[in-house]
Amino acid sequence: MSSSTEPQVEDATREPPSPPSPTASFYDMSDDEEGGYSTIRHSKSGKGVKLLYTKSKVYVHPSPSARDNIPGYVAVMQQKPARDLIASPPTSPGSSSSVGRRAEINSLLLAWVPEKSLGEANTIYTKVESNDSGEPPKQSHLVPAPPVTTSHSSSVGAYAFAIPVTDIFSILVRPPNTGWWFGSIVINTRAGDSFPALFFHDSECQSTIDQRKKLQRENFSISGEDGEGMFWGGDEVIRWLKKFVTVERSSQEPSVYLIEPSESDRVGFGSAGKPTPDKVRNVLEGKHKDDPAQPRKGSVNDGDPVMKALKQARWSFLEKMSQVTTFTRRTAQAVAENKNLPPQVRRLMQDPQVQTVSDEFDSARLYLARWAMGIAEQSERERSQRIWTAKDMLEMEETGVGEFEVLDMEAQDLSLMDKRKPVTVEEWNGYFNVGTGVLEKTPDEVKDRIFHGGLDPDDSVRKEAWLFILGVYEWTSTKQERHAKMNSLRDEYIRLKGAWWERMLDEQGTLEEREWWKEQKMRIEKDVHRTDRHIPLFAGEDIPHPDPDSPFAEAGTNVHLEQMKDMLLTYNEYNRDLGYVQGMSDLLAPIYAIEQDDAVAFWGFVKFMERMERNFLRDQSGMRLQLVTLDQLCQLLDPKLYDHLQKVDSTNFFFFFRMLLVWFKREFSFPDILRLYETLWTDYLSSNFHLFIAMAILEKHRNVIIDHLKGFDEVLKYVNELSGTIDLPSTLIRAEALFRRFQRTVEAIDRKSSFPGMPKPELRQRLPVPPPTSPGVDGRPRRASQAATGSSAGASASGRAPTVGDHVAAGIGAQKEKVVTPELRALLSREVPKLDKQEVKDHGGGVGA
Amino acid sequence: MSSRKKILLKVIILGDSGVGKTSLMNQYVNKKFSASYKATIGADFLTKEVLVDDRLVTMQLWDTAGQERFQSLGVAFYRGADCCVLVYDVNNAKSFDTLDSWRDEFLIQASPMDPESFPFVVLGNKVDVGEDKRVVSGKRAMAFCQGKGGIPYFETSAKEAVNVEQAFEVIARNALAQEESQDFNPDFPETIPINIGEQNQGCNC
Ligand SMILES: Nc1nc2c(ncn2[C@@H]2O[C@H](COP(=O)(O)OP(=O)(O)OP(=O)(O)O)[C@@H](O)[C@H]2O)c(=O)[nH]1
Ligand SMILES: [Mg+2]
Repeated sequence: MSSSTEPQVEDATREPPSPPSPTASFYDMSDDEEGGYSTIRHSKSGKGVKLLYTKSKVYVHPSPSARDNIPGYVAVMQQKPARDLIASPPTSPGSSSSVGRRAEINSLLLAWVPEKSLGEANTIYTKVESNDSGEPPKQSHLVPAPPVTTSHSSSVGAYAFAIPVTDIFSILVRPPNTGWWFGSIVINTRAGDSFPALFFHDSECQSTIDQRKKLQRENFSISGEDGEGMFWGGDEVIRWLKKFVTVERSSQEPSVYLIEPSESDRVGFGSAGKPTPDKVRNVLEGKHKDDPAQPRKGSVNDGDPVMKALKQARWSFLEKMSQVTTFTRRTAQAVAENKNLPPQVRRLMQDPQVQTVSDEFDSARLYLARWAMGIAEQSERERSQRIWTAKDMLEMEETGVGEFEVLDMEAQDLSLMDKRKPVTVEEWNGYFNVGTGVLEKTPDEVKDRIFHGGLDPDDSVRKEAWLFILGVYEWTSTKQERHAKMNSLRDEYIRLKGAWWERMLDEQGTLEEREWWKEQKMRIEKDVHRTDRHIPLFAGEDIPHPDPDSPFAEAGTNVHLEQMKDMLLTYNEYNRDLGYVQGMSDLLAPIYAIEQDDAVAFWGFVKFMERMERNFLRDQSGMRLQLVTLDQLCQLLDPKLYDHLQKVDSTNFFFFFRMLLVWFKREFSFPDILRLYETLWTDYLSSNFHLFIAMAILEKHRNVIIDHLKGFDEVLKYVNELSGTIDLPSTLIRAEALFRRFQRTVEAIDRKSSFPGMPKPELRQRLPVPPPTSPGVDGRPRRASQAATGSSAGASASGRAPTVGDHVAAGIGAQKEKVVTPELRALLSREVPKLDKQEVKDHGGGVGA
Repeated sequence: MSSRKKILLKVIILGDSGVGKTSLMNQYVNKKFSASYKATIGADFLTKEVLVDDRLVTMQLWDTAGQERFQSLGVAFYRGADCCVLVYDVNNAKSFDTLDSWRDEFLIQASPMDPESFPFVVLGNKVDVGEDKRVVSGKRAMAFCQGKGGIPYFETSAKEAVNVEQAFEVIARNALAQEESQDFNPDFPETIPINIGEQNQGCNC
């Protein structure tokens, strides 16, 4: 019996510590003949294990594609340490002392072996499987030992694994539902690990078919273990285990079978006591309930409770890959009706509120798509423990599963390099000359650090560092210069603030101006009271409102809200061509929260606004430009997704409007926004890196969008509801991977076209002239329908700002040829696109115009 | 077959920034009011199922940003609307004065087939705020509505859930009537989509 797995054989009795007694043997328990056992002694010691039970056509489903399913055998094996075999003859029957029993259990393994790796042992597996006595075979059948593990990360996938039964905490059992899903089991270890689900393809499994026939003959029934459903492969596994160990089905959690439960486990899951949410979660997460890391209070309570609970659904998590891409209405219903769904989830599905959602198929599809995505999101967080390695991903690439996964692989690689810590205040101070306070690194080195590691949220480093990355301070400045600069900025702020204050008192200016100003004041007031009020800084209502006529006079206010209003009114005065526009309060709040000094925050905001002005123009030309650029980026990087978006009328990319307008402020938590903004402010890779963040978010959800979203409204709703669910660190990594891919693609296209005089990237982006007529019923700019060959050069040289229509390379749609438009090329630039004064005057829509 | 067709009613809610559009929608759909809803950016919608005379319909309520400059983006949603709700704040005269232009803009962009009969509903919101703060009287609002061909008018409070349910019931009813009147028109849905369908399938010649 040769086997490549031999060298990996571990001594399964190494843990738990209690060593097997010399008397240990399966036959101590089973009254079997000693003769059979002697075979083991004759064998090459320790090189084989005794196959007691096995069942074929048990699959691992490593990917959504059925093609990737790996057939194998599930088996109960008995391992006998070599020293025992040699040292001690089996003892006489009847010595079933607890020591003996313990030891005997210690030698048992629950294993899964892929068909392909069986080799010669194939015939033995077949033989043992066909033994229909219900007892282990009398004869010893030795097979190569699979590698023994207690955690799956190392060996699971295409490889066999075996878990000592003593290390199993519980087994989750989900019976099959004909036509809908295969029955499956998940092994949870005491260490808190879960092995991938094993799926029983009963209809292919001869032994199961035979057993069903036999049951029908003998009992006129083919119901299984619990008398509930049809007998299936998983029933057998539970029956086998019951021969050797205590297996208790939790009455509270009918899908959970506890293996050798302790008294406290029994109380937790069994007959006594009600399950608490924590207990349920422990089970769902495969955690031992005594795990000191539990419970994680609080984390479950925020956000949509339904989503949170569903995310906890371990079952779905384990089947995530198949569910994410194959969710259909039928499975949706099946899930809702499935008795084996964790009660927590089932209850929620039965909740009338949720039920109405499910009844309504269109909304249900969105809802379930989100659910499936939540599961995928969780899997991403736990990716390091999953069986998905970069190698698997590569293999998937070959089998053509899609670019999505490949991208994730790239992202993973980056993440490995990226284990960089945030910049602390000590590190930051170390960048500067102690005497002069001049930066002793290059700005790029500092930006690299901030881009990849962020600034430490727990110390004061942001207060100063932000002023550099926002451009309030020059990178080359001395400490003294900065000091002087800040003093003059403070004076200037006070002057500007005084100006509108006077305006308020004197009512100067034209009637129109005064009207505008009053309106703006009102707008700012309303918006400040609606901005980030959940942040403690802005939450209070502890001082009376200074203006008793304000609609907020009753509610009260706090000093920070009042400072916010002052800063925004000052900005409204400072930039009269544009004035205050909704969304600006969202952009100011993070800066103020960090600086907590109105003058400093004001100037930080002014600098931020220099690049954001284009988002707020009256004619929306700046937003259009970005949405069009995103449209082109999507065409270039993910044509398949783009095709789908086209089909569902969503290529206006309006569903990204909110994200782009206020830089994802409404999508991430406040602390995440701080990290995101400082990353974007560095312009380290691109001054338009926010578009890659957008693309990263889109890519993450592209499968759900393609598979489930059938209309513009569904896309909008789905994307809007991502708010609060997006994981920032992985998004940043994915965005970087996308940028690199974009860069390579552009280089490749340039090489291919070997166009000698490629137009230089336009560093200062110009705004597109708004479409001559109204933007069209769908709100998107009109496009040139004919190929604009050699698109960019002419338009930009003529001095006329090119229209969007000029730029969008037709040709992309027509010939599927990849074209780098000027908008796309501009994404390679690190220079911040700013408007000139005149442009703001022309398009701003403020009172200065 | 057509009688079993699911009925989706598209309702657009318009009005100046801060009049309470988001709050009204949330009060109606989620039965709650929060003082800290954020200013709406872009657009969003909520759906609610309601029974109108024993017919189950789904209302899709579209909420957009109130500041004028964002309106050019909102037009995409106006198309196919079954009812338009115009909201003003009874304590803010300007928000009432702009109702007319909201209505005009909607009619231009949505271009319903029969603008004269297209259903609008006007809501005067924030009536919970003290009478001393109120600047637009119910009388004035009603006169406006009369002048526009008898638009139904409600005085509401999203904060205290006053009249919200009643208003939206009328909105649903009028939207359904509008939707059904559309169904009787045979030419509208048929001529254009045929071409689109062909394009989508691609030409195999
Ligand atoms: N007292 C009172 N306040 C209200 C009422 N409805 C809304 N508000 C307040 O008015 C402000 C604006 O409400 P929103 O619902 O956000 O207004 P909106 O029309 O959606 O505004 P935009 O999204 O900017 O277009 C908020 O501070 C609300 O708390 C109401 O019925 N009574
Ligand atoms: Mg709103």
